[in-house]
Amino acid sequence: MDFNKQPLKKKDITVAELYDALTERLGVSLERLNKVSLNRKIVERDIHRPGLALAGFTNLFTYQRVQILGNTESRFLKQFSPEKRREVFANITPYKIPCICITDANDFDKDLLKMATEARIPVFRTSLSTTKFIYLVTDFLDDQFAPYQVFHGSMVDVYGIGMFFTGRSGIGKSEIALDLVERGHRLVADDAVVITRKGESVLMASGMETIGHFMEIRGLGFINVEKIFGVRAVRYQKRLEIVVELMEWDSKTEYDRTGLAPKNTDILGVPIQHIQLPIYPGKNITVIAEVMALNYLLKHYGYDPAQELDKRVLEKIAEQSKDDKKKKFAFSANKVKRNPKKSRAIEYFEHDFE
Amino acid sequence: MITREVTIVNKAGLHTRPAAALVKLAAKFKSDFFIEKDGIEVNAKSIISVMMLAAPKGTKLKLRFNGVDEEDAAREITKLFEDGFGEV
Repeated sequence: MDFNKQPLKKKDITVAELYDALTERLGVSLERLNKVSLNRKIVERDIHRPGLALAGFTNLFTYQRVQILGNTESRFLKQFSPEKRREVFANITPYKIPCICITDANDFDKDLLKMATEARIPVFRTSLSTTKFIYLVTDFLDDQFAPYQVFHGSMVDVYGIGMFFTGRSGIGKSEIALDLVERGHRLVADDAVVITRKGESVLMASGMETIGHFMEIRGLGFINVEKIFGVRAVRYQKRLEIVVELMEWDSKTEYDRTGLAPKNTDILGVPIQHIQLPIYPGKNITVIAEVMALNYLLKHYGYDPAQELDKRVLEKIAEQSKDDKKKKFAFSANKVKRNPKKSRAIEYFEHDFE
Repeated sequence: MITREVTIVNKAGLHTRPAAALVKLAAKFKSDFFIEKDGIEVNAKSIISVMMLAAPKGTKLKLRFNGVDEEDAAREITKLFEDGFGEV
């Protein structure tokens, strides 16, 4: 499976989209101070506080970012006479600023508002504190400008672990997803899965809007998983934690036999555990997928079965080599150990016959 | 690997029936077959992925073929697009 596809990224979003998201999705009360078209584009996730630009240093003014006027900037503007204030504000109005947001419910001078309106810069005001507002805006913009790509496979939430099944067309990814749904797990998307990098180290998976939770089963056609199994069988997003690559059994390929050194694969710059799973008739992939998820959870909580078994064997080896040494001095020690080598898990089968 | 550029010519675009015709034809070949639209490349042997593109008439798509019979696949599949999936 090729995960090396060039990541995609949104080029821009309009100020209107930001406004709608903040007011409708995030519940921020954002007052529109002027009636200016919200068509201007925001092209990056970062925001800017134009203190230095207002003071006249506009050399490196990142005007293309959302501009925030907090307490500092508001008080800075307030101290001037009306004429001087207009002069100061005129430092930034010639630039194509997407929008200005005033935080902490600060006052905004009417003259300045007029200047902004003439420059076609939308001005908003919120009662939220600057830090809180910046956090919300940056988090939303971060999400909007996050790198993403579409990959071929099935995404299922198995016991809370996001598992992505890949493999060639027709190997049975959809059937496994369906089997897992039938056992109470939840489908995120089938066939085309959008994977987005959130922050630096988290991958989020979701489906495509048009397709939703539709699925194709060979020989049957399209089905709608949500309609058949109900809302408990689906979810819209899930963090991706394990990639399971289904492949035909090939005697030449080396499969992981211990799990001591799990393989990782790089998706959008994030390492993700990658399991290559050979399939053949009679092998119950669904049960194996469930066990994978549970094993992953166990490891997450600090229990690694491969390491644990290795530890036991190493202890046994150490014990035996000690015994061998003791044997050499057995006559001098005068003490004979009764059961030096334990090999069976049960020492003595009591009368438990039937 | 072969790449081809095609345009959707049938009026209704790449809806269910053309998508089905496309994946049926693609399944006859051993080669992998991908379609790219706006930087998103999907596995064109999967009908759901093809329908996800929701490509209307006039859309330009990039096809990519990779495998032993890529030349035959490229020729026949490109023709299917040019014929408008028999819907023109």
